[in-house]
Amino acid sequence: MRGFVVQRVPSVSGRVRNAAYAVSALVAVFVAGLLLAALGLHPLALGGSVLKQSLGSRFGVQDLLLLASPLVMCGLSVSLMLRVGLWNIGADGQFYVGAACAAGVALFGPHGSPLLVQITMGLAAMAGGALWIAVPALARLLLGTSEIIATLLLNFVARLGLDWLVTGPWRDPHGMAAAQTARIPDPLPKLPRDWHLGGLHWGLAVVLGLAALLAAAFRFTRWGFELRICGANRDTAAYAGMNVRRRLFQAMLLGGAIAGLGGMLELSGTVHRLQSGLSNGYGYVGIIVAVLAASSPLGCVFTGLLMALVLNAGLVLQTQGVPSSAALALTGLILLFAAIGERLAHYRIVPTRPVAGAGGVA
Amino acid sequence: MQPGELPRTVLPEAARTAFVRMRGITKSFYGARANDGVDFTLQGGEIHALLGENGAGKSTLMNVLTGLYQPDSGEIAIEGHVRRIASPADAIEAGIGMVHQHFKLVPAFTVAENIHLGWNETPFRLDPASLAARTQALSDRFGLAVSPGARVADLSAGEQQRVEILRVLARGTRILVLDEPTAVLTPAEVRALFAALRAFRADGNAVILISHKLGEVLEIADALTVMRAGRSVATGSTAGASRSSLARLIIGDTAIPATVARNETDVPGAQAVPLALRGVSVRDHRGIALLDGVDLDVRAGEILGIAGVAGNGQRALSEVLTGCVRPDAGDVLLDGDASGPRGAREFADWGVGHIPEDRLRTALAADLPLGENAVLRDYRGDAAGSGPFLFPRRLARLARRIIDDAAVNLRDSRIPARNLSGGNQQRLVAERERRIASRVLVAAYPTRGLDVGAVAALHAGMQALRASGVGVVLISEEIEELLAQADRIAVLFAGRIAGILPVAQADAERLGLLMSGQVLPEPVS
Repeated sequence: MRGFVVQRVPSVSGRVRNAAYAVSALVAVFVAGLLLAALGLHPLALGGSVLKQSLGSRFGVQDLLLLASPLVMCGLSVSLMLRVGLWNIGADGQFYVGAACAAGVALFGPHGSPLLVQITMGLAAMAGGALWIAVPALARLLLGTSEIIATLLLNFVARLGLDWLVTGPWRDPHGMAAAQTARIPDPLPKLPRDWHLGGLHWGLAVVLGLAALLAAAFRFTRWGFELRICGANRDTAAYAGMNVRRRLFQAMLLGGAIAGLGGMLELSGTVHRLQSGLSNGYGYVGIIVAVLAASSPLGCVFTGLLMALVLNAGLVLQTQGVPSSAALALTGLILLFAAIGERLAHYRIVPTRPVAGAGGVA
Repeated sequence: MQPGELPRTVLPEAARTAFVRMRGITKSFYGARANDGVDFTLQGGEIHALLGENGAGKSTLMNVLTGLYQPDSGEIAIEGHVRRIASPADAIEAGIGMVHQHFKLVPAFTVAENIHLGWNETPFRLDPASLAARTQALSDRFGLAVSPGARVADLSAGEQQRVEILRVLARGTRILVLDEPTAVLTPAEVRALFAALRAFRADGNAVILISHKLGEVLEIADALTVMRAGRSVATGSTAGASRSSLARLIIGDTAIPATVARNETDVPGAQAVPLALRGVSVRDHRGIALLDGVDLDVRAGEILGIAGVAGNGQRALSEVLTGCVRPDAGDVLLDGDASGPRGAREFADWGVGHIPEDRLRTALAADLPLGENAVLRDYRGDAAGSGPFLFPRRLARLARRIIDDAAVNLRDSRIPARNLSGGNQQRLVAERERRIASRVLVAAYPTRGLDVGAVAALHAGMQALRASGVGVVLISEEIEELLAQADRIAVLFAGRIAGILPVAQADAERLGLLMSGQVLPEPVS
């Protein structure tokens, strides 16, 4: 009997998985094109204008990098916690708290050298983000409360708290807008003009540096090794003599701090003031970034850029008369197809061979 | 079919329709053929032993039969009809149930919940009382004692296995596959299990028994199939077979390793006591005493056997001796000092190796590659890095060496540890722990599920450690193993040391009395 059977392989290499993701993304774009065609639009022309506006000009690329930075930061935060097997759904809230702490330092702190102000803002933002996740972290470690729910719920607290700040006590007294603070006096400096990346600020370097640092810490330190074991099997880690609770706590606090730092970079580098809706759901997109990157920090840089491109495409499509929900649908499609692709990568089709006669009994 | 007419020989093929006929089964993993054209026939009303060394392909063949794996080629006929068993659900529908060597229970669920999980006879309305009552009824019917309300995570390995067997029997299985079922059972429990299996067979059902214990095979099996290197090399009746004839079939032409004899010579410095317990008590989270006032000396250059029925405090004892658990009362003395290192890491650094009871859940991170598992102890040493830093290339080299020294059959260090056979997993763990055991090695059931060759290698390793002045604690349920390997044997009963005998004064009868909680007729010094 000749035929084919589908076989599951227990583990796949990184290369196979990446290929599966690439194919999935293409399929997602193709399906999105079909949907656009069904709406009576010209998918190829739209795709062309998306690519042209995102990648075809220096401004487009700069916009892309500016948008990718907070996504990568949130992706790194989620990745670090995934390393120990925990989900940070609260990067959005930590991002907001970090931005608020940085804004507080910038608006009300003492003036000093610009570098010192930036460093203080960064430290305040990291402390704020870490503090924001400390409650879910302690609840998780001491009481076994799910960190998924606790971090998620604190997002709403953070967002509403920030709305209160920018409409109430911190509202710009001289401004027209109802929900923002005054401009911060010392924003993050732009990159040198002769690098021809005029619109970009030093935050980009921080993002790339942090991704490299985390990748190195995972690969080249005993601490990174322990995180991996703790994430794979906590009983084994404890048996091998690792302090599992300490490692989980460290990963959670550091994850919160990274998301908080992301908020500071967004505030000080891009927006220059604290305002309602500062994080446009970056923390949630960060989850997609981390999952697509299989929680690899360097992978987050690429998947962060990919998600920025997708979000940008949504904006471009809107200007062409495509409903704003279509962009959201596109991000959903990519994640859905990536998840399917990741599963399918575990299967391969093999031809069945005919039974080779009888016999073999000794 | 009546029990009296049980066939003691395999009849010609045409005479009867076989329960199970597997033909030409081939299955490869990572290019290695785990099964290579295997034929296997099971008749109704027989207990059929499947024999072979670790990695001979027994588990793979049974995983094909139970739908966990799809064969690369070959066919399976159930009662004469060729069928594709695409999933465990198909297998259950065909009346095939398997109890695996590695437990497949949900640790957070109770015994009753595990029994009823994924069972179409589970009542639609779930209430704990009726589930418990149903479980109790099943337990009585099959003669397997379980406590329905207990959480599986709190059970010993032996108790968990009873739940596994009960779970499969409850589903109306006609073809029961048991992978090393007696490895974690006490002699009394083995007798009860065998009685249950004989009753099961008498109803016309069939059992496939994977075992390394040849004595048991000869006692209970009607027919047997021997596998070697992925092929079936012999099949037939057990009548006329002997332990030695079977051992030769299993091992093939290679020399049968001699059982490792105890080294009687005293080791220099043997009077030192590197590790000792004084009045140690350990309670579980419910406050029930697992260990109760235990005094124990582990001497340098001796093998201290710990006998006892599983569930009498062995796990707590091994955890307290290795720093994984701190005692609720009493002292753990390292070189006579109670104020020394305190956690698992400190004990390991001080020179305590630990082969834990549960390989796949504790000793190994099953989803991680072999390489990472191999360096689980050594990643902190100077050979792997410096200060807080780790050098991946050195780490990989170290992993390579440990995997080679452990003589694991899969040599690719990127393969997840889960994909190793049980015996090879244990080889890796034993080698890893031997490397750090400069003072003491605590081994809990280290030979469980291992074949003859692997057991001999493990015993030789322990004797070599003893000779180099290391104190070895060997926790085992095999009295024969303890009598052959240990210098002194302590018996654990209900969390207490019921007695400690020098091996010269120990025999199966006296140990058996102590294990069942009775006091020896004459006082033992």
